[in-house]
Amino acid sequence: MQDPNHSAGKPGWVQIVLIGRRPAFTLVRIFVLVLVCVVTVKFILLPIRVDGISMEPTYHNGRIDCVNRLAYWRHGPQRGDVVAIRLSDPGPFSAPSQMYMKRVIGLPGETVWFHEGHVYINGRLLDEPYLKTTCDWEHEPLVCGPDQYYVVGDNRSMPFEYHRQGRADRDRIIGKVLL
Amino acid sequence: MKMALRVALLILGVVAAVWLWTVVFPSPEKIVLRRIAGLAATATISPGEGAIMRAGKTSSFIGYFSTDAEISYDLGSYGTRTISGRDEIRELAAGAFTTVGSLNVQFVDATARVAADKQSAEATCTARVTTGDNKDFDVQELKFQLKRIDGDWLITRAETVKTLQ
Repeated sequence: MQDPNHSAGKPGWVQIVLIGRRPAFTLVRIFVLVLVCVVTVKFILLPIRVDGISMEPTYHNGRIDCVNRLAYWRHGPQRGDVVAIRLSDPGPFSAPSQMYMKRVIGLPGETVWFHEGHVYINGRLLDEPYLKTTCDWEHEPLVCGPDQYYVVGDNRSMPFEYHRQGRADRDRIIGKVLL
Repeated sequence: MKMALRVALLILGVVAAVWLWTVVFPSPEKIVLRRIAGLAATATISPGEGAIMRAGKTSSFIGYFSTDAEISYDLGSYGTRTISGRDEIRELAAGAFTTVGSLNVQFVDATARVAADKQSAEATCTARVTTGDNKDFDVQELKFQLKRIDGDWLITRAETVKTLQ
């Protein structure tokens, strides 16, 4: 005959599957896991979905990616980096929901000039191996401020006036696109 | 275990009380943000809305602005256009509401700062706009200046912000 006291002390298999042998520790583990996920997704690796064609063919419309918000912790963005740029500031405890995805071509203090579809930095032609299309963009030289980066998309087949590009303040660049 | 349960219930009670307090007595920042969200809801037009409803929306839209309000918006290579006063804003809103089949406006990433005297405020947000059956949307950063007039927060100036200069 089975001892009822003995069986009452041991958790049943349903309880083990659902909440573990020690429910209190399971709760703590769930709490820590949720906390780690929230902190990671909001402040370290921000998930994004590409919407639009301005970064074609490097990033296709609808692609899922991540923004590394710690990429520029120690140094500023580098030329050639693909970055996420926030629009309005949602505050310190929120991640922006809308961002521009662009490539950095001009660094602080540099002059960026579009001439006959080519980019010139301080008068020197910029090599852009990531470009797959040609264009005839023409725009007067623009000087980046001490805290500004010139950003532009990879899809230069679009007309210049339909393509959002220009100087972004450093505090608007929230991170580097991971892949 | 009983003690832990009591402490947990106490914490839960305090959190619920604080939440209830903020619901019943919202901060001026929250009221301003609600006002801005209300503007977006008013500017949203569904395809089934007829001319009378659209006219009603125009009137509601005007109600968010002060009599001397200004709207300044960037037209890209055409420069910036500014309209002033409720009449001009009504004209602009009526024109937009009657010409579009449908319009979905959302203000996201919004923040508000209320001045120390609690009589003026500044709000920033990103407008996410979809027109018609279009799947694509456009985004535009916006800045609002509001004043408390007769107990109501009214927009005195709205302008587009150039994210990339």
